[in-house]
Amino acid sequence: MTTIDLNMVGAKGALVEAAEGKWGMVIDQDLCTGCQACVTACAMENNIAFVGEEDAGYGRSMHWIRIERFWEGHYPHVKMTHYQPMLCQQCGKAPCEPVCPAFATVHSQSEQVNVQVYNRCVGTRYCGNNCPYQVRSFNWFDYNDERINKAIATLKHQFNPDVTVRRRGIMEKCSFCIQRIHKAQDKAKSEGREVADGEFTTACAQACPADAIVFGRVDNPESLVSQLMAEGHGVQHLSELGTLPRVTYLVGGQ
Amino acid sequence: MTQKISRRDFLKLAGVGAATTAVLTGCGPAAKFVTRQPYLKMPEYTYNGESTYYATTCRECAAACGLVVRTMQGRAIKVEGNKANPVNLGKTCARGQTTLQGLYNPDRVTAPTKQGRAKDLSGSAMNWDDAVATVSDILKKYKASEIAFLMGTAPDHLFDLATDLTGAMGASAPVRYGALSMFEGRATLAQAAQEMFGQPALPFFDLASADVVVSFGANFLETWVSPVAYTRGYSKLRKGHDRRRGLFFQFEARMSQTGSVADEWIALRPGTEGLVALALGKLVAEARGGSMPKAFASVNVNEAAEKAGVELEALHVIAEEFAKANAPLAIVGGPALAHSNGVETTKAVYALNAAFSSSFFLSPLAPGEDVYHRPASAQEMSEFVKKLESGAVKALFIHGVNPAFELPKSLGFEAALKNVETVISFATFPDETALLSDYIFPDHHALESFGYQRAYTGANASVLSGLQPAVTPFVDTKATADVLLAAAAQAGFPFPYADEFAFIQGKLQQFVPIAGGSFAAPEINAFTAFFQQFGGWWKQADLVAPTASNGAVNAPEAEFEEGEFFLIPFVSPTLGEAGANKPWLQETADPTTTVMWNTWVEINPETAHELGVENDDVVKIVSAAGEVEASVYLYPAIRPDVIAIPFGQGHTAYGQFAAGRGVNPADLFGAKFNAAGDLAYAGVKVRVEKTGKKQYLSRLESKIGVYGEGLGEEH
Repeated sequence: MTTIDLNMVGAKGALVEAAEGKWGMVIDQDLCTGCQACVTACAMENNIAFVGEEDAGYGRSMHWIRIERFWEGHYPHVKMTHYQPMLCQQCGKAPCEPVCPAFATVHSQSEQVNVQVYNRCVGTRYCGNNCPYQVRSFNWFDYNDERINKAIATLKHQFNPDVTVRRRGIMEKCSFCIQRIHKAQDKAKSEGREVADGEFTTACAQACPADAIVFGRVDNPESLVSQLMAEGHGVQHLSELGTLPRVTYLVGGQ
Repeated sequence: MTQKISRRDFLKLAGVGAATTAVLTGCGPAAKFVTRQPYLKMPEYTYNGESTYYATTCRECAAACGLVVRTMQGRAIKVEGNKANPVNLGKTCARGQTTLQGLYNPDRVTAPTKQGRAKDLSGSAMNWDDAVATVSDILKKYKASEIAFLMGTAPDHLFDLATDLTGAMGASAPVRYGALSMFEGRATLAQAAQEMFGQPALPFFDLASADVVVSFGANFLETWVSPVAYTRGYSKLRKGHDRRRGLFFQFEARMSQTGSVADEWIALRPGTEGLVALALGKLVAEARGGSMPKAFASVNVNEAAEKAGVELEALHVIAEEFAKANAPLAIVGGPALAHSNGVETTKAVYALNAAFSSSFFLSPLAPGEDVYHRPASAQEMSEFVKKLESGAVKALFIHGVNPAFELPKSLGFEAALKNVETVISFATFPDETALLSDYIFPDHHALESFGYQRAYTGANASVLSGLQPAVTPFVDTKATADVLLAAAAQAGFPFPYADEFAFIQGKLQQFVPIAGGSFAAPEINAFTAFFQQFGGWWKQADLVAPTASNGAVNAPEAEFEEGEFFLIPFVSPTLGEAGANKPWLQETADPTTTVMWNTWVEINPETAHELGVENDDVVKIVSAAGEVEASVYLYPAIRPDVIAIPFGQGHTAYGQFAAGRGVNPADLFGAKFNAAGDLAYAGVKVRVEKTGKKQYLSRLESKIGVYGEGLGEEH
């Protein structure tokens, strides 16, 4: 396994794919049953607001991960395509980044993921417009403020103290559970070792009862993610745009 | 404000840390709770910024999945699956994840309440001493034969306590029921197993060891029996053996979430599942050669295909795959069981397995049980309701079930309840039944409770899943077991248990000497500590393929009411029977339609065109028993003569997120039962009436229907 000096990673600059420190995800669409466990697990882990029926109808729901599905054909020869969990692809060259006037969405040097800096965000929504995967969600209201959403007064007891609660006017998206990455790295560092493959995982992958989501280091050829990616039937969505997505979809079967 | 966020009591119980166990093994029940201490002085096993984890059991359905709850400074932050629990092996479903929004729900019943059958939660608060005295007065006042207990599907420690209590009093045993058990057709599954294999057990379909699976209506990836366990199995099926991906075919009239991941989804006429299973058996037996099993001998394949509306070629293709397979498996479930011929259909599928499958087993019995004790069937509930109506029951205790919502209206529960002098609800939430009660004595939420629960299927082990509090009670609730024990003592039914914890230990005692369990302990206190640390106790069970009597199996025609359309009600895959009060479950999109926060009616686009209705048009669905109104969703994968409605919404109470939202398709059910006593709800037929109203559904998939843009262009 490659040794990683966290201080060195990222010296190559944000827009270049660094070889080291790469976290990635593989989603096996053949295993996905569309059960939505990842969706609610993500919401519980990341303090994602619910917006209510009306706002959800206007497309304002805040899902960081959603399960897409498409129909093919007509009855009786109708088929549903494989369920397709869609989340931030953590692009190596992210279309959302260069359009942000506030540098609120940038590449982190140490984890090589696309991060959203909430206290820089001024809510222009340019990033959301430019995201080809439509995975960014915007806080149209203070959904998580108990003065506006009274139910939050008790529900907030569940909030994860490792994750910021976002306010109105802020764009947000999947962070690859960066709080979990940090926790695992801190623990490994204090024990004088590297983070082992499978030592921790993202909330979605942890919940997934079908094991369709696998998270890990793509720069470590021994890791399960790397092995799954090497199987050869993986695709990266809209890769023709040159986004260098960090999520690989396995579309085997059928 | 400081008061509000101040850290609450910690429970001195084993978390997941191994070190704690050694400390705790010597502790008796007296050391259960740590005394409340100032904020500055942390309990010794808690550190700022560090989480404490507690293993417990998910109570969102009766599957008994193990959970590990992450807590921080006295708050429950996140639940994860318990990797040690054989049912879910570290995984959870969407409903399990949101159990925290039940715990911290703003609409919980916050104190014992003299409800007085008011329409809303306006009853006056009481204190717990008066509450216990009230229960004890009832136990003293009425004869044993006038007292009844109605409880939820899951067989837990409270059910055992109520069983012991009613036994000591000479009252009739507590009745267990839940809407899910009705939709799952548990009585039908057990009855068919009794008739074919001589044991009333639940089946265990071992998907993990199979390579070709044919399902007849079973929604095993959604809510059916043990969905997380079955999803794990499904995943193994797809990953395959020797890199050969397993195949999966689904026969059903409306594409369920489970059917949507099938390699082939074949629409058949509702009620013909058994006939198709027998036809398939005949084709497979012919392809494999050898003697023809008696069950399949008399079926005419061509006739069966025609009756079912299935293409003969499709049947041949599937039979060929099934015959070629090393480990074929047939599953039955969902609406297929809920026909008048449900038992025969189940037997036909069991016969298919008995003849060809090595992946079909009867579920191992739960620890300490000699036979599977199923929850009450709808027919037994109907008899129970009649008993209430007759006035023979003077006091009714209700826990863990919401019959005013979960029982079809046609059984008349609400009216019958008027003839019961005193109704006591132990509901955590102000659900419909709680509001109809005289008193609400709220139990703790599952994450605040001690206990255990028997798991009935989903694992090749005999599982007793354990519960322990992850947090101290959030509102002024009291364990129902403690209320009953205290009241029983006051009323003069002496029990050898001081409190709930002592009762649980008393029941766990029998497992201490048993060898070969998941852990061993020399005495009960150590056993209890391990029980809490690992989240339960289980024992590997040898799965034995049942031997069937090689008898003939019939496939009689299903009986239907008069009407235009078949109705397929299905349990919402996201909400389940009791998820409507959790806002994040409401906002989780239904997997196949992506609708959130409401009820919809699925209609084939062709049919809708003929009826002259479009997406989001409100239609009235009328059956012999009742009517409901909901918005149309044009669903491409449903037979043109079928309409489908999800179950889970339509609450009139149950908190701000559930009340007044959507409709309950159970209002359309009549009171017809199949041979096993399960409700034959799939025999309901309905007609569709236009209302001229429009109600836009909130969907994740597009904005069409909300802004009204693009309507009429999509088909």
